[in-house]
Amino acid sequence: MDSQQTFLTTIRKSLGLPPTEERSKTTFPGLFRQTNKAEILARIRQRTPQELDKLVGILLSNAKDLNISASVVASRDEAAAAIVHLVKTKNLEFTPTKHVVHHDHPDLNALQLWKCLEGEGVTIHTTFGPDRQLREKTIASFIGITAPAIGVAESATIIQLTKPGQPRSTSLVPSIHIAVLDRKNLVADLAEAYALLKEMALPDSFVCISGPSKTADIEATMVHGAHGPRELHLLVLSPPTNEIAIDTGIPGTEEPVAFQEEYLQCKK
Amino acid sequence: MSKTTPIPPSDYRTAAAAGIASPRLQKSLQGIQNRFGKGAMEFWAKMDDQELRHRVKESRMNTLAHLDIVLAELAKNIRARGGQVYFAATAQDAIDYTLAVAKKNNVKRVVKGKSMTSAEIAIDPALEEAGIEVVETDLGEYIIQLAGDKPSHIIAPCIHLDRAQIGQLFTDKLGIDYSDDPPTLTMAARKALREKMLGAEMGLTGCNLACAETGHISLVSNEGNIRMATTMPDVHVALMGMERVVATFDEHRETLQLLTRGAALQKLSTYVSFQGGPAALTDPDGPREFHLVIIDNGRSKILADPEFREVLACIRCGACLNICPVYGKIGGHAYDSPYCGPIGAVVTPLLDGINKHADLCKGETLCGACRDVCPVENDLPRMLAALRHKLAYGSDRWNTSQHNPAEAYAFALWKLLVSHPVLYRTSLWFGKLFQWPFVRKNKMIGSLAGLATGWTKDRDLPPLAGQTFAQLWKKKYAARRPNESRAQSKEAS
Repeated sequence: MDSQQTFLTTIRKSLGLPPTEERSKTTFPGLFRQTNKAEILARIRQRTPQELDKLVGILLSNAKDLNISASVVASRDEAAAAIVHLVKTKNLEFTPTKHVVHHDHPDLNALQLWKCLEGEGVTIHTTFGPDRQLREKTIASFIGITAPAIGVAESATIIQLTKPGQPRSTSLVPSIHIAVLDRKNLVADLAEAYALLKEMALPDSFVCISGPSKTADIEATMVHGAHGPRELHLLVLSPPTNEIAIDTGIPGTEEPVAFQEEYLQCKK
Repeated sequence: MSKTTPIPPSDYRTAAAAGIASPRLQKSLQGIQNRFGKGAMEFWAKMDDQELRHRVKESRMNTLAHLDIVLAELAKNIRARGGQVYFAATAQDAIDYTLAVAKKNNVKRVVKGKSMTSAEIAIDPALEEAGIEVVETDLGEYIIQLAGDKPSHIIAPCIHLDRAQIGQLFTDKLGIDYSDDPPTLTMAARKALREKMLGAEMGLTGCNLACAETGHISLVSNEGNIRMATTMPDVHVALMGMERVVATFDEHRETLQLLTRGAALQKLSTYVSFQGGPAALTDPDGPREFHLVIIDNGRSKILADPEFREVLACIRCGACLNICPVYGKIGGHAYDSPYCGPIGAVVTPLLDGINKHADLCKGETLCGACRDVCPVENDLPRMLAALRHKLAYGSDRWNTSQHNPAEAYAFALWKLLVSHPVLYRTSLWFGKLFQWPFVRKNKMIGSLAGLATGWTKDRDLPPLAGQTFAQLWKKKYAARRPNESRAQSKEAS
């Protein structure tokens, strides 16, 4: 604390203030002034499925610009089918055998990936809190699956909060990151996302992810997969909205449906 | 004070000449400036929220004016999260603290996230001297480290190297088959660095923006190396210049958006990670210790000077590099500092000595492009001019001596002449008389002697004319001048 006192004394001196007189934030209410978030939060909570679908459309279009493979899945089964397809078809990068690691999250546990990948020579790990071998398991995995707390349509961003059972490395160390985002967690822009974050007690660590890892350090040529995942697949879990069929106009959004059969077969 | 010192020999000129002579660098810089510099200008012009930049600047200045309170709040909130905060008055303090943390944790290898502050305090040599391996993990910085080179751009450190040079470097240092294919080279570095990052005991990063209200630092990266360096090693030490803080979470959002737009026209960088403390006991990964080192190292002196305080509002996006006509030609090496371009030309002399870096402010053109593109509307040209003023007259406050006394004498003489017509005319008369030995056959002065050599090195000067303008005027036109009474009557009619 000594170093702090000397340091802040120097600052006060620099600001032309009495150096030893500590200033309190209560004297300057404007400094940490809070804007009223009630309106933003109400807007987020009152969004109709139709409005959310519109946001999904914006998210998909922005995701495309960032080389995120984003698609809509209508059900958990569809999500599982899409994941199974990726696990089966994607190539390994660092390891000789197929390991997949996913967050201990209800949406992901419900997919029962271990069941539908049975007999495929794939090992599925779940990031249970107390697992001391999780680091090794994550390093061994070529796919990491998470369920982000928030999605942001405007910048095609997903926000991962670090909490028990949802460690940081799952979206970072494996070659491929698959994020399953529930449509109800989608917001329009960063201002809305910050309002939501502020409302939750912010964890010590969280991350905003907007695309696969990339670099342009060699002659400004864009290359994906510098240190983080080289691919980011975003599955937006979005049950069909009955009233109005929204055509997002984004090609490829129906893709997972095609794997439906393959998946259902493996489930039997 | 204001004692006179001789002009030191300049590496600026040599490095600038080398930059201008490199076709590779010229092409790269042009590419980056055409894309990002022009892009940022266009973006600001058509941005919906035209008040944003102004608002962020105001909040930056307000934070600086209350920096003691904001930093105390940041430290309090980070400590509440279990993080440790150290206030380093000098570079050496920051180095000593980091070394002590490394020793305590028996660190053998440090993986770094790109940090200009770490270069400013020269922590790498100190760590290496202590027997610790230091590995840069940003691809560009890694290439620079392998090459034993220095970065030349804030966000594109190895912009001066081409793919063939990098390919050869990787063959030599990483033992891979030669390739000049950027994806192949990137994959080779990805593999090599993954091993380093998974096997390091300490991650060392900078801090893009800390948020006092929530007790976090935030770091932006596109590669994911910073997330690796802050997740996989057991200890994370973040070095932060004391001005790199915002008060509220709202301010964080607005400032962050200007940072990523200004840097590379991104809505957000691929990764924006927030760290406030060590991993919880229930977390299977993340650092067991988190240390934030808040560094002064000369910043409080800048804060104290109203003329330069504004420069601390800088968010280090690098937009000014992407628009500056001087940087765009000479490249980053000429600035001989972790901070290059217009921002470097202001901040390097202030942190490291105005006399020592005298060439920087004189090399810039004061064209104003950096001010126009700056997301926080910093008036860099004004500050460059202020630095020149210090060099011209000396400054006790900045311990600056008169840079070029001869120039000062010359201007003093000029002042005397132009304020005394008789003296002026007499010296003109002498000038005309003594210039003839210098006038060449083409009726131009081709080379002057002594202090004036520089004027004629690359160009010819016309000699003083036989008759002055005033004399010519009198002779040729005075007679034709309408007399006053006539002109007045004409106007009246």
